[in-house]
Amino acid sequence: MAVDELQAIIQRCQILEEADFKGEDFNLFQVAGQKCLETGYAAQLLEVIQNEKNKVIVKNMGWNLISPLVRCIFMYKHEDDKREHCLKILDQLAQLCNPKELFLSLLEQIEQTSGEQVCQTVMLLLQPLQTVLLKLQNKKAYSVGLSLAMIMNQLTPLPVPYTKQQIQEDKFGLCQCCNAVVDFAKPFVNEIVKNTEESSEYNDMELKEELLKFCMKSLKYPLLTAQLEQIEGIEEHPFRHFATEIIDILWDIRELIPLVFLHRKSRGPQWENQDFADIERKNSADSLACLSYLMFVQHFGIDCFPVVFSPSYLLQCNMTHIEVLLKRTEESMLSKGLDLFESCLLRMEDDGLLHQYLEFRDFINVPQDLVKIMTLCPIEHLRKKSLNILQLFIDKFDTEGKYTLFRCLLKTSNHAGVEGYIIKNIKDQIHLSLTKACDNTWFTGLHLISLLDLVLLLPEGAETDLLQNSDRIMASLNLLRYLVITDCESDNRTGVWTMLAKIEQNFLKPLHVGLNMSKAHYEAEIKSKKENRREAHSSNTVCSVTVSGEKVPAMTTEMQLQVLHSALFTFDLIESVLARVEELIELKIKGVMDDN
Amino acid sequence: EVQAAALAERGEDITPAQDRGVLKIIKRPGSEDESPMIGDKVYVHYKGKLANGKKFDSSRDRNEPFVFSLGKGQVIKAWDIGVATMKKGEICYLLCKPEYAYGSAGSAPKIPSNATLFFEASNASELAREDLFEDGGIIRRIKRKGEGYSNPNEGATVEIHLEGFCGGTRFDCKDVKFVVGEGEDHDIPIGIDKALEKMQRGEQCILYLGPRYGFGEAGKPKYGIQANAELVYEVTLKSFEKAKESWEMDTKEKLEQAAIVKEKGTMYFKEGKYLQAVIQYGKIVSWLEMEYGLSEKESKASDSFLLAAFLNLAMCYLKLREYTKAVECCDKALGLDQDNEKGLYRRGEARLLMNEFELAKCDFQKVLEVNPQNKAAKSQISVCQKKTKEHNERDRRIYANMFTKFAERDAK
Repeated sequence: MAVDELQAIIQRCQILEEADFKGEDFNLFQVAGQKCLETGYAAQLLEVIQNEKNKVIVKNMGWNLISPLVRCIFMYKHEDDKREHCLKILDQLAQLCNPKELFLSLLEQIEQTSGEQVCQTVMLLLQPLQTVLLKLQNKKAYSVGLSLAMIMNQLTPLPVPYTKQQIQEDKFGLCQCCNAVVDFAKPFVNEIVKNTEESSEYNDMELKEELLKFCMKSLKYPLLTAQLEQIEGIEEHPFRHFATEIIDILWDIRELIPLVFLHRKSRGPQWENQDFADIERKNSADSLACLSYLMFVQHFGIDCFPVVFSPSYLLQCNMTHIEVLLKRTEESMLSKGLDLFESCLLRMEDDGLLHQYLEFRDFINVPQDLVKIMTLCPIEHLRKKSLNILQLFIDKFDTEGKYTLFRCLLKTSNHAGVEGYIIKNIKDQIHLSLTKACDNTWFTGLHLISLLDLVLLLPEGAETDLLQNSDRIMASLNLLRYLVITDCESDNRTGVWTMLAKIEQNFLKPLHVGLNMSKAHYEAEIKSKKENRREAHSSNTVCSVTVSGEKVPAMTTEMQLQVLHSALFTFDLIESVLARVEELIELKIKGVMDDN
Repeated sequence: EVQAAALAERGEDITPAQDRGVLKIIKRPGSEDESPMIGDKVYVHYKGKLANGKKFDSSRDRNEPFVFSLGKGQVIKAWDIGVATMKKGEICYLLCKPEYAYGSAGSAPKIPSNATLFFEASNASELAREDLFEDGGIIRRIKRKGEGYSNPNEGATVEIHLEGFCGGTRFDCKDVKFVVGEGEDHDIPIGIDKALEKMQRGEQCILYLGPRYGFGEAGKPKYGIQANAELVYEVTLKSFEKAKESWEMDTKEKLEQAAIVKEKGTMYFKEGKYLQAVIQYGKIVSWLEMEYGLSEKESKASDSFLLAAFLNLAMCYLKLREYTKAVECCDKALGLDQDNEKGLYRRGEARLLMNEFELAKCDFQKVLEVNPQNKAAKSQISVCQKKTKEHNERDRRIYANMFTKFAERDAK
């Protein structure tokens, strides 16, 4: 009988000195204890452990029981008495066993779980782990750090609940577990706070470093991936709560403000080897970006943040973080990046951002990242949002800034739709400078001529693909039409009349040629398709297209004809605007000639 | 305690435009005669209140003074103007109209739109000088602020007035026009080139250069300057014209310029001016490394320039003892031409100097595969072997006692 075996080994050890316990004794104790648990004698085991006389034995040998104990706790149902007993045993072990050995045993138990069991196990063992850590004298900081690192390592593979439903379901228990872990860390934070008020010892630096590492890790996982907006119908959003707690910890250990200003201070010569410093910087980039998001978008911890910075400076500081987030492809990170960018921009007045800021590398890189998102990202609301933010960004710059930005985007975006959008912006700026009585040298005169050189042309001359570039071409034609109508030749404030000959050569003539060629080509295609339709339909597919694992069906001739016809329609559209523009030009020139 | 009303009544208008945007009353005058200068790091303790009396911020709540660089637009306009008038130790009150604070946008969540702000501030600074690269190499003290925020970039053409001092004696005084990064052509040390990139038009400042940013080990016999001398320069940036940014140049232009800077770089290298050479070769990389849409002919030319640039950069970094960077450049060179003898050899050299003996040996062996006649590679291989042996001996000696030491420690 298991209980008898247990009694036997207990009696034997009771008379031995601690130093005389042999490996064999440990084994017998473990086997007996395990058997008790597995055969349902938890109550008896509890009695044995609670017995004062067995204190020494339990102190030395108790840690061996953790593994079978945890198994049994998960095996029994909640209402079962035996489960109660097991929990009490766990508690007793935490009180009585050698802290160092029990610590290793608990950690080992956590390390060995995976998948669905992880959160349950961690939440079960956090209390005893805390008790044991508080008892450790030497290497407490190291052990706390090790525990937190181990726990976070085990949690990281778990998927982060994102939608309202997923959060409410909390399938793997991650939401609950994360918040349990911050509670677990609280006494250690308090210790640091207390010691900092009194004096600073070496030990505290270590403990502070470990907690800092934990916070940095948490910022990256799960916070960077989690959805952190308020959700209707969820009172206590677990990840918002978790975020607040992490920021509180950072504030308490006095690392919050230094982290947000990391770029301003060099973090001391901590690393002799520059390579390590670089690696650390890369790893922390994600965490710091998340921290900025939490502070400036969700306003967690912003009470602690100085309210004297200029909005332009805040934007400058946050650009690094925005760039980090916008270079990712995951929705959770992209949307945080866009939100952070938007929040910084909304703090500024229009036309207030000095053009000199464009000299910072990231001020040029980030709008290009926005262009990538708005043209390539598969998620529609993100595409729309990044377009809005690009417009917001443009609006904030002074005129020279807008000018430089337009030049840059025209040259680098390589997308006709974006180019068309920029050209429309240029038109709006010209309109503003013609109607307002301010002396704006950037959208009139020589500077404008230089800009128009980039706009009023066909990139590959007459051979430009008009269909591909139709957005851009239409925008350019509309701009030209506007200029011709609004700017009198006598005034010539925009310089368009001086450039007329060049515009005709670089833009209008090749456009005519291109249109004629394209129309002829497409009409020929349509004709040949109609003829071929009568013949046998041979499937000579040169290539096939597969999307999401499904092969896209080949286009029927009907569909192909539709596409060709709509191309012709586009050409007609371009041609009609072109004709109108030329008409207007002639009228104006004739008008001037008549006057003379 | 002075209230906002008192400020509105008798506060001094300290705005340049005299539009009563920032009003000030001194509570307690400061101790020194000097006010802080542009670029100085200032430490300020403050308390901020809204017009309705509600406190929105206080540095005392954070237990540390607020630090920022004066006159750089890092803070609201009222502060750049106000703190500039505060002598060390001074305590004052400031009343700031929204146009000099957060304007119509406000600052979520604490500052509403169009808010007038009230501050009590005290200047707790040491008048610090600005360490330009945070390595003690170049210290700047601005005598007269420049205009705007624009700075010359690398390759910009600058017109400056310059006076150089060493040990209290003036050794150089001239007006000169040159390209940033090529100051060496006019006997100007690299520290001036670097500092110019942080100066504004019209700025006059004093620069304290450590040896690394001065004339270095070579000194400057022409001026009677010894090796590793510390120098002091007074520089006025009269005007400048920026160099084109990479995205403003088309491929043809980049290839033309690449040829020019490659020659310049080689010239500097031959003169032992490695920092300047790095700047020139670096331009080739920044222009061409990410260039797309090249024709086949352009592609060949570009790759040829990049290969030469990476190989030469590696040589420079070897001379400058920045071995990691040397390895990175060799990696990139080998990425373009995987059997490049120079690339492999130089990478081997760098690794050897980083004590990565095994990797170095591999590189030298590859050199021999490519060119069996390379005697230098052969001798380097034996050096690697010898060093590996020495290190193993040393490790053996160190680790021999390690476990005993650990056991002793654990027993305590």
